[in-house]
Amino acid sequence: MDSINVLIVDDEEELALTIAERLEIRGIKTQTVSDGDLALNSVRTHNPDVVVLDVMMPGIGGLGILKQIKSLDPKIPVILLTGYGSKERSIEGMNLGAFDYVLKPCNLDDLITKIQEAVKSK
Amino acid sequence: MKGNEVEFIGKITAGVTHEVNNVLASIREISGLLTDILSITDEKSFAKKEKFQTSLEKIQNQVQRGVKLTNQLNKFSHLTDNNKADVDLNELVDHLIFLTERFARIKNVTLQNQLSKDSLVIKTDPLQLEMALFNCILYLLNKTTNGGEISICPKKKGNEYSLSINCKYELTDTSTIFKDSSSSEELLSLSSIMEKLNGVYEFDETNAAIIIKISGKN
Repeated sequence: MDSINVLIVDDEEELALTIAERLEIRGIKTQTVSDGDLALNSVRTHNPDVVVLDVMMPGIGGLGILKQIKSLDPKIPVILLTGYGSKERSIEGMNLGAFDYVLKPCNLDDLITKIQEAVKSK
Repeated sequence: MKGNEVEFIGKITAGVTHEVNNVLASIREISGLLTDILSITDEKSFAKKEKFQTSLEKIQNQVQRGVKLTNQLNKFSHLTDNNKADVDLNELVDHLIFLTERFARIKNVTLQNQLSKDSLVIKTDPLQLEMALFNCILYLLNKTTNGGEISICPKKKGNEYSLSINCKYELTDTSTIFKDSSSSEELLSLSSIMEKLNGVYEFDETNAAIIIKISGKN
């Protein structure tokens, strides 16, 4: 598992950092960013195995960032983090090429399972 | 209330519930991180380890409770999105019971959903229908001094859908439950709502029930 590299994109920095820390304890390498530009930059420079992306992001929104990530690297799996009220947007995200989505607050074990499945799907 | 005012309340509530959900998500992860750290901490080096573990579990349980409440409130806020939508009556009753349980608990009344085994989907205004049911529940709650049960039973007969809101009170004489009903604020509201829904309501005095009827041809 220690070879997996995950990029977490969420404007809720406290949340992103804590999820990252918990994943690191379980041997998953992480990087966190809080906006779309930094996310694209990180995809270019760090080449993460999986991106975990919040749907409700400021600016162009999570789905806008998803489109940009996919145009940069169509093969990179993206897992969407979504609130109960934005499930429909996640389904739209699946149609745009997202690998899967998880509901916030997420169960960490479920997220890890999806990350592993995403890596296998590459 | 005017349509744009309802829309305003719906949008603000949806936005706030989203933010509260993020707060709960952070609390969940931070307490999860502490649990992770505790699990790799030696008991000898931390005498209060067990107390901390059980306290963290309690935090997680309260977070789950909060998440359920905010999700249901978020769902409620989206009732204002459309005047007509496909509404599953079983789901709507479940949702309303969740949101109104507190009103019933104050009177020691339990709310029961007598779910139909059939799928009961009707095109109607979900907000108005929840308001109609809420007024029935409030009316019946006001008639009990303490304790009892209110059950809601959705049904379909031909093209007509009905919701029967029935009460069973041990300490209240239910035969008088509809006495002076014409001056009830809840029932006045119910009349105006049923007009908007193109439906009617009636009393079943034998079973101490209010029955809401809506046509499936709406």
